[in-house]
Amino acid sequence: MSEQDTQLPALSRAGHASHCFRFINGLPAAKTDLDPSRLAIAFYCIGSLDLLGELEGRIPQAERESWREWVWEQQAGGKHGTGFRPSPFMVAQGGPSAPPMANYAHCDTPHIIMTYTALLTLAILRDDFSILDRSGLLKFLRACQREDGSFSTTPGSGESDLRTLYCAFAISSMLNDWSGIDVPRATSFIALCRTYEGGYGQSPFCEAQGGTTYIAIASLGLVPSTFSQRLTTSERQKTIQWLLSNQHESGGFCGRTNKDADACYCFWCGAALKILGAGNFVDARALAGFIARCQFKFGGIAKAPGETPDPYHTYLSLAALSMYPPKTFDGDARPESWTFDSLDPLLNARIGTAVWARKYIPAV
Amino acid sequence: MSTPAPVPIQGEEPTIPLFAERPEWADVVPLEQYEGVNPLAPIMYTPVYKDATNYFRGIVKIGEKSQRVLELTEAIIRLNPAHYSAWQYRYETLLAIDAPLDVELKLMDEIAVKYLKTYQVWHHRRLLLTITRKPAQELDFITRSLTADTKNYHTWSYRQWLLAYFNDEDELWTGELDFVDAMLAQDVRNNSAWHHRFFVVWGCGVREGEEDRERVYKRELTYVKQNISLAPNNLSAWNYLRGIMEHTKTPYSTVKAFVRPYTLPIDPTSVDIVDLENPPPTKGANLPCPSAIEFLADIYEQEKNTLEAIELWTSLASQHDVIRKKYWEHRIRDALEAART
Repeated sequence: MSEQDTQLPALSRAGHASHCFRFINGLPAAKTDLDPSRLAIAFYCIGSLDLLGELEGRIPQAERESWREWVWEQQAGGKHGTGFRPSPFMVAQGGPSAPPMANYAHCDTPHIIMTYTALLTLAILRDDFSILDRSGLLKFLRACQREDGSFSTTPGSGESDLRTLYCAFAISSMLNDWSGIDVPRATSFIALCRTYEGGYGQSPFCEAQGGTTYIAIASLGLVPSTFSQRLTTSERQKTIQWLLSNQHESGGFCGRTNKDADACYCFWCGAALKILGAGNFVDARALAGFIARCQFKFGGIAKAPGETPDPYHTYLSLAALSMYPPKTFDGDARPESWTFDSLDPLLNARIGTAVWARKYIPAV
Repeated sequence: MSTPAPVPIQGEEPTIPLFAERPEWADVVPLEQYEGVNPLAPIMYTPVYKDATNYFRGIVKIGEKSQRVLELTEAIIRLNPAHYSAWQYRYETLLAIDAPLDVELKLMDEIAVKYLKTYQVWHHRRLLLTITRKPAQELDFITRSLTADTKNYHTWSYRQWLLAYFNDEDELWTGELDFVDAMLAQDVRNNSAWHHRFFVVWGCGVREGEEDRERVYKRELTYVKQNISLAPNNLSAWNYLRGIMEHTKTPYSTVKAFVRPYTLPIDPTSVDIVDLENPPPTKGANLPCPSAIEFLADIYEQEKNTLEAIELWTSLASQHDVIRKKYWEHRIRDALEAART
């Protein structure tokens, strides 16, 4: 069967943009568990609009301005340095103290994952970062790094795994300043997470998983070559093989061996392969076909066909398509709906956004 | 006719009075949440959640750590198990008032199974265990919660963390291989169980009675071969096979005779032979098996038998593993290049 035999339906770009707007405007009480990660939700929504090219044309300048204002309100400083909180979920009425930057109280410290998503969101919104507390941010990274080289979500919390390590690396890379972290200690932690399958687990001893494998590979890719901690040829080869084996016949990727395909792993595995220089082995048209089937009729992309869509799977699917735009044919429903700008797989942002981040986030 | 008794709806919390209505909380000043102008992704909280978090902000502000704080944080966790600040403050309170941690673990048994996919549930448990240092009963709890979700990543990670953290307690480890057997008997394609086997046998030190690594390798080789023979199209088992061979630096070629029958179409005329060294594919297996073809091609490549390897890769690219067509074509090009130089 040749590629042309299966027709590719349209990608409902307008529907996906509307899905993100709905989340930006408000979440029902059933989504209360997103309270401590609202900034990440905002990033997935605004990031989706960025990938869809819907930001500048469609959102009035004043509205983008107010979004930025809200993100900046989450920046807070204190004894562990400065970072961003997920939302004002622990801030009492009366508002953040001492503008332009709040001082955080106990149990309301900045969160390292939220800090990474805040910087990217602000770059998407083309902020000039003039009020970013850079030295406070470096201090915050130092406060998060643990003895074993990994990073806590919040200073001293002890909740740590590879996700937070990637955030620390991405923040250092965007700042173009690695003085906030002990890189050799961190990279040796990454090595401990590698498994016999060729992927990486979330923590030492854990099963190989697509998301954390991206995290490991992207982190190693972000480290400046002076710290050089590269994989050996055979390690690299094995990781590529494992990542590729996760692409199902359905076209989607699974996150672990023998699991079902899930749209988010099209990004996690796909981006890791891209970083390893093995992107050309991915069957991009089959991948697009899978994502097409994960679309919800009224907007948004779900983890699998027939599931409920959400901004996380919507963003990561669009990011996967930005790296792997399918080859289209005349017989396809709307070939132009599958066109995207390219994506920086290391920072997980549209190229223009990544360039902006690298230009304005470092100290002048 | 009698009225039927109201049936509780599954998943719904029993209604408790608002903290604002309870006299024993009257001394705490509730603090409403701040929302900036035009918030992003605001949540339409229920009155119950608003009430509980108002009192939580109030409590954190005055720094109170008492029995009633445990009640308050439990209420919040049940409404939103991802509320990491409530978890953090709860943990600090437990320590501050020297609360009995076995009671806390009991409560967590119920909460963890309910919210298996929440990071905080597991993190809290780890913190408790590092203090109680009583890991033995934990294994039963984990086994029970894996029944609810046999591939839950957090649950498996917790088991691995627990075993590694209490690495010296040999008796803790004694049942692990039987446990893996039981999980694989349920589902031989459960990769988490295969991974756990690798972790137990190879990944975290050498247990008592396992010092003879040669013997352990042979045992594991027999184990994985038998599992492949019963269900050949199982990438988890093939990965385990590769894993133990690489770990012990055993050349792939030593299992060539075992692998070959899996790379061929099923032979309907074959008779049942019992070959413990090289168990053949079970009757009715879907053959040839792409993982076996890939394995045999790797053996040929290592033997510098390029032509035979290329033949196998070609069959993967064109027939048995078309989705990775470009990758197999790349392997062919690479091998040709290597042969030329």
